[in-house]
Amino acid sequence: MKSFYGLLIAGCVVIGLTACANKQEPVVDPVVQETPAEATAPEQSQVNEDSLAALERERLEAERLEAARKKLQEMMDRVMSEDIYFDFDRSELTEDAKQLLTQVGEILNQEPRFTITVEGHTDARGTEDYNMTLGSARSTKVKEFLSAYGIASERMETISYGEEKPKQDGESEDAYAKNRRASFRVNVK
Amino acid sequence: MNKSLFLALFLSMTMQVFASIDTIAVDVGISVFKTMPIGVVPFSEPSGTTLDWPDEKPHEVAERDLNLSGRFDVISVPKFDLVKLSRARAKFYVTGKIEKALNNKIKIDFYLYATQSKDLVLGESYTVSLIDSRKAVHDFIDKVIYNLWGVHGIASTKLAWVSKIDGVKQIMVADYDGFHRRQLTFDSTISMMPAWSPDNERIIFVSFRNNKPQLYIKDVATGTQKRLFKKFEQTFSPAVNPKTGEILFSAIIDGKTDLYVGDPETQKTRRISFLKSSQTSPSWSPNLSEIIFTSDRGGSPQIYVMNSDGSDMRRMTFMGRYNERASWAPTGDRIVYTSMDDGKMNIYTCAIDGSDIIQLTSNSGNNERPSWSPDGSLIAFSSDRTGSHQIYIMRRDGSNVTRITKGGENTAPTWSWYPIEKQVKHNKEGKQ
Repeated sequence: MKSFYGLLIAGCVVIGLTACANKQEPVVDPVVQETPAEATAPEQSQVNEDSLAALERERLEAERLEAARKKLQEMMDRVMSEDIYFDFDRSELTEDAKQLLTQVGEILNQEPRFTITVEGHTDARGTEDYNMTLGSARSTKVKEFLSAYGIASERMETISYGEEKPKQDGESEDAYAKNRRASFRVNVK
Repeated sequence: MNKSLFLALFLSMTMQVFASIDTIAVDVGISVFKTMPIGVVPFSEPSGTTLDWPDEKPHEVAERDLNLSGRFDVISVPKFDLVKLSRARAKFYVTGKIEKALNNKIKIDFYLYATQSKDLVLGESYTVSLIDSRKAVHDFIDKVIYNLWGVHGIASTKLAWVSKIDGVKQIMVADYDGFHRRQLTFDSTISMMPAWSPDNERIIFVSFRNNKPQLYIKDVATGTQKRLFKKFEQTFSPAVNPKTGEILFSAIIDGKTDLYVGDPETQKTRRISFLKSSQTSPSWSPNLSEIIFTSDRGGSPQIYVMNSDGSDMRRMTFMGRYNERASWAPTGDRIVYTSMDDGKMNIYTCAIDGSDIIQLTSNSGNNERPSWSPDGSLIAFSSDRTGSHQIYIMRRDGSNVTRITKGGENTAPTWSWYPIEKQVKHNKEGKQ
């Protein structure tokens, strides 16, 4: 009787753990159904093996989820690290920019849950007002390219920050070049 | 003192100051600004007590006002000195008398005297707290200017600008001379592009608090604020119509920037530009019948002008590849704008047909965001000539450059309108 209780408890633990591990797939019935049959010839070691197996499955499942999460995060990070650079006072996409955008478009195709905000930026030269329109033109060019690549425009928002959010401070040509960009923010639906 | 005497005084006594001007057009006239020497004598203070002035004594405030006005050369004398004032051709001098008054206040009597005859030209008395003494001086100096020049001075006007505080751009308001500074916004996100409501009681500005540039209006005294024109996602470049309070602004729709006019009370808006290119930086003409703005329709930003309903558009600037943010002088005769050359920003003016271009700043870092004083005689702007961005005031011909802020990063000065009581007077008398 004592071992029966033990089994019961082990079973409950298994159910509890698995249920909690993945609510979308509560397919732990086989384990539960098998236990009463084995309960006729209870063996302490069997119980342990069962619960160990359950824990192992649990661990693998958690790893799988973690890997998926990591992959998602990596994809997000990749999109967000892909700054698209522009020439001075221009909003046309360079060949390099188009190549990068193709990769971004590929990720967006792979992961339909992603929606993006394209932020347009300028360097510090010029007026705040005109740089707002220039930032807008840059983010729009990026959106148009991705749209042509097949990304639904509802998944993309454009915002202009003008010269207000430089990536690198300073008045060097290097800083200017780094600040003339479109950058991405990613949201998961 | 009759008018012909004054005219004679001006012609014989005014000193000619030639501004150093770089010209970029062939056909440029030499700008001459006439200034009037004027004496300032320290005010007498009550004996036996020392007054705890907040920053400067009244005669120092008066000297600053007279110098900043661009109309005078101040001759400072420690006490009345007929010989020195006469030699400097100072036909008039300002002085005053300070007495203690009830309730911890002081009484300041201001005098404008004719140097030779010691005739009292103008006398005013103010009873104020020490902290309000600057205000009293500003008011008196405006009266002096009205008396000697026949136009309203700007000593009682204000400036709004943008200061970086803990790395975040915030809106500041202050007296036009940079004193009595107050922070208006306290957001953790960028605030910028301030503009004054016609009564000078509210500031229209751009805030990024929703992660997008959006126009807000905030009451300077109460701090009450609201978002403007909510049907647009991204709005900026506000310019106020001083008669109706309507706001010209830029809005981004589908990646294109266009110009709109909106009423801050009813929130109703109407579009006024219909080009394929982007339009920004709108500004009203003084008679409010026309609008100047920037368009990149030619591939680079250039200044255009059109009727306020959007009709009859014509290009105004043709020199250089980057002309932006034009603003019409309240006097109606000149346009000030910013131009980029070799990556540096500088301030220029031109006639209203785009001719007679005069460069006001050169070889001194970036000079941007010019804003006219309400009398059209001065221009406030920001410059990084000292290594950090600070606010400066200069005459409309580029001379008499005076810095009014130091420390930190200060940009985008925006001059207020005349105080409301002077606006009425101003219009009734039909003066520009």
